[in-house]
Amino acid sequence: MVSAGIGWALATSVVRYTSCKMSFLKGIAAIAKGMSITFREMFQPTQVENYPDGPGPLRGAKFQERYRGVHVLQRDENGLEKCVACFLCAAACPANCIYIEAAENTSAHRVSGAERYARVYNIDYNRCIFCAYCVEACPTDAITHGHGFEIAAFNATNLIFRKEQLLAAKPGHLGANAVFNQVEVAGGAALPVPGS
Amino acid sequence: MADVNLTIDGKKVTAPAGTLLIEAAKSAGIEVPSFCYYPNLSLQGACRMCLVKIEKMPKLQTACTTVISEGMMVTTDSDEVRQARKGMIELLLGNHPLDCPVCDAGGECELQDMTFSYGAAESRFIDVKNHRDEQQWSPVVYFDRPRCILCYRCVRVCGEGMDVWALGVQHRGVSSTIVPNQEDHLECEECGMCIDICPVGALTSGAYRYKTRPWEMKHVGTTCTHCADGCKTTLGVRRCSTGTELVRGDNRDKSGINGDFLCIKGRYGFDFAHHEDRLHQPLIRRNGRLTPCTWEEAFQLTGERLRQIRDREGGDAIAVIGSTRTTNEENYLLQKFARTVLGTNHIDHHRTADYPALVAALAGHPKLTASMRELFEAPAMLLIGNDPTRQHPLLAWQIRNNVRLHRARLYLVNAQPIKLRRQASSFFAIPAGREAEVAAFLAGQDSAVAAIASETSPEAWIRWRDQLRREPKLVVMFGSEIRGDAVASLIKFAADLPEAKLICLGDYANSRGAADMGLYPDLLPGYHPVTEVGEFHKDWGGVPEKPGLSLRQMAEHAQAGKLKALYVVGANPVEELGLDPFVFSQSFVVVEDLFLTETAAIADVVLPAANAYEKSGTFTNTCGDLQLVKKAGEVTGTKSDFEIIVRIADAMGVAVRKLVPFGRGSRADMGQSRGAQSGEADRHSVWLEARGLEPKMSPFDPMAILDEIQRLVPGYDVSRLHLLAGMDQHTSLSGSGPGTKHDPSAIMPARDDLFSSGTLGRYCRTLNAVLENGHKLAAEEEVAAE
Ligand code: SF4
Ligand code: SF4
Ligand code: SF4
Ligand code: SF4
Ligand code: SF4
Ligand code: FES
Repeated sequence: MVSAGIGWALATSVVRYTSCKMSFLKGIAAIAKGMSITFREMFQPTQVENYPDGPGPLRGAKFQERYRGVHVLQRDENGLEKCVACFLCAAACPANCIYIEAAENTSAHRVSGAERYARVYNIDYNRCIFCAYCVEACPTDAITHGHGFEIAAFNATNLIFRKEQLLAAKPGHLGANAVFNQVEVAGGAALPVPGS
Repeated sequence: MADVNLTIDGKKVTAPAGTLLIEAAKSAGIEVPSFCYYPNLSLQGACRMCLVKIEKMPKLQTACTTVISEGMMVTTDSDEVRQARKGMIELLLGNHPLDCPVCDAGGECELQDMTFSYGAAESRFIDVKNHRDEQQWSPVVYFDRPRCILCYRCVRVCGEGMDVWALGVQHRGVSSTIVPNQEDHLECEECGMCIDICPVGALTSGAYRYKTRPWEMKHVGTTCTHCADGCKTTLGVRRCSTGTELVRGDNRDKSGINGDFLCIKGRYGFDFAHHEDRLHQPLIRRNGRLTPCTWEEAFQLTGERLRQIRDREGGDAIAVIGSTRTTNEENYLLQKFARTVLGTNHIDHHRTADYPALVAALAGHPKLTASMRELFEAPAMLLIGNDPTRQHPLLAWQIRNNVRLHRARLYLVNAQPIKLRRQASSFFAIPAGREAEVAAFLAGQDSAVAAIASETSPEAWIRWRDQLRREPKLVVMFGSEIRGDAVASLIKFAADLPEAKLICLGDYANSRGAADMGLYPDLLPGYHPVTEVGEFHKDWGGVPEKPGLSLRQMAEHAQAGKLKALYVVGANPVEELGLDPFVFSQSFVVVEDLFLTETAAIADVVLPAANAYEKSGTFTNTCGDLQLVKKAGEVTGTKSDFEIIVRIADAMGVAVRKLVPFGRGSRADMGQSRGAQSGEADRHSVWLEARGLEPKMSPFDPMAILDEIQRLVPGYDVSRLHLLAGMDQHTSLSGSGPGTKHDPSAIMPARDDLFSSGTLGRYCRTLNAVLENGHKLAAEEEVAAE
């Protein structure tokens, strides 16, 4: 059975080969034409970005100002968080990826400019589609899209960004110390987040 | 009343004479925006949002104060009207802060909605807004003055609805301000009705403050777990890092028997669920100490020990104490488990009212019980004993508002000058403990008058009784002061009246359910004596026929060393009934509870139970209204009492299907379920459940037991469809067994006050905050007086 099958297949391809000799030659001509373009382009100056081997902190990546990358939670001119935990971004989000827990500011522990602040603010980048609806919804301009794009991860849980990862840097004139406290400058855990 | 014809926006409308224009428009499906108008409160005419054009009237008129008249031609939607509304909103927003992002009302604020629907997007006011700091008036009430739109709803609901009159208006015109009764703070019932009714975020709740947003929560309408009135409360649930969290209780869905009402316990008394003392792991006593263990270990140990004791000593050595806060299904299952598996009739609960006596006296008088809704409509009410304002807040609300809105007559007899006397058409004070004589006197025993006529003359009592006898429709309510024979006397009196109905007042959320489901040593569900062989004996295949021991007798039995095992479900007899914990030292004690209560502390096995907000089932309120209990949240490490009972039975080697008839005889129609995830009701499963057709594949499904209850317990044969749709269903006691006469001293009322709720109340942070605040205030007052 098996040998019979192979014999049949061979016979068919021989028949095809003879009947298609002309189109085979046509194919060679087309490849030659294509390769000529390739060879010509090989000697032209490079057009693509040399990412990740390029110079500078972006390692050669270039993009438009309007590029929508990882969100940044902004601070006001006093260094307080702009976010007042109104939940409007979470409501606007079509991917349902923003999780917030609100808490009340006290005079002893003031985090944002208004009565309340986001005790927990998570964005799940497994789901975020970078539509900027949250940015549109925010009444206090607290959330914006930054230019961060290197968020690929091997573990999906690493794609849930917490407030500490999203917060804008504290400006130097408000006490962030670039020499001694890199965390503050990088926007990191300046404020302990209970429960996280 | 005669009907009146009028035209609204070209639509012909007919409504009874005396109807307000705004209501007539509503009935025709035409919305007239309003702020200050609120159904069932007095008219205010303050906000001018409801302006409409009425032909032949020179100016726009307020629809909320205009009574319809024949031939009226009304326009609710013309340029002139729209312009007027726009203007009103612009003025309201003149000094209104732009607080929406942080305001707790955001998302369910009437001002937001109105501004979107009718308002102007831009303001022409450029002046700086006049800011005032937010004030805290009490642990639960906060006031943000600039947000107030002066609709006076809060003032009216507190005064007219609650009869507390704690809020008032200071100054006139633009400087009018809502102020609390104590200048800078409130002394009141803390019911939160003012917060609920406030159309904006001026009055906000201390418990819910800045926690979340209305659209972030799932809203579950269930029944309150505190007093026996059975208010429908809507719990707002959010997912949180530890599972689900109950964030708020409110009265979003006003369809319950409570209408607009909720008291402090229904509104704020849910936080015990997240108390840090809550048990999250079963405990077993090892070397004299309660140590955490797995559920499997706990079930194995309990099952084995109970089986050994039953097999060696017989059912007589085992006693069971049930709860007044567990569902009907759990209570039914518990007594079925005790009777058929443990083989004992030693089962009892904390009795707070004499329901068996009521049943016994009602024999031959069908339909003599009133529902909570009927009370609101009754033209006359008689209350003997009890203080509903403190112990039955909803009942008090119904009485007050029935008097206010329907001019009902309220006859009061009480040993204390209770607050409801302000609504009473007659108040008769009696010496303490003489309520039974009042009942006897009413039943026609004239000699009893001597015992009660201390402040009022015997002639007045007789005139009073004659007046009552002439009442065409009367609802008689009585507290636990009336027990035993006194109940029979009252019913004798009521049965002779043209139409009288009764409400017997018990104390905890499901006291009535516990009684109806047979948590009595001598009564089966539906008040059938255990001594009479009947349906249950047939259905269950054998029930011990000797009546068991009551609570006190159990303690004596234990003292004598004859009680080898005690199984307590959701009760704290050591504390509430003052039983001596040491009498149980020779017994194997199993306790299911939320907290390590005084009773749990002496147990050998403690099983962490879910509370009523974390499970499904039904409750029967004190009037007999059956309502659905819906699962709102979940706390890790706990199980419902239903599941625990089934698991223990399983560990004892019982065929569980005999206990819970699950998966029996149903052709499982799994159908297609849609939309349940997105919050939409799963219609298919609602339909199946309503017909009792849902698969009931699980032995933990309370609906399987509800089937049996509806089949076997008289009066519970109500519409399953209406029940599942969230409506109350009155269960009458007619058709019940003969009931019985119990020792009246076995009834121990809870004596809960407005801010306390048995063991549960001790773990409610908000209730305690209010109590502490009250104490603090009282202490300050004393200082001031010195
Ligand atoms: S980021 Fe903006 S929209 Fe989101 S919660 Fe904070 S303030 Fe509101
Ligand atoms: S009361 Fe309403 S309109 Fe005013 S700030 Fe609050 S949510 Fe906004
Ligand atoms: S909480 Fe209740 S009693 Fe207190 S002020 Fe508000 S409405 Fe009145
Ligand atoms: S506090 Fe609220 S309910 Fe009271 S008058 Fe102001 S807006 Fe109306
Ligand atoms: S009146 Fe009773 S049932 Fe209603 S909310 Fe208050 S405690 Fe709950
Ligand atoms: S609703 Fe008519 S004046 Fe306010």
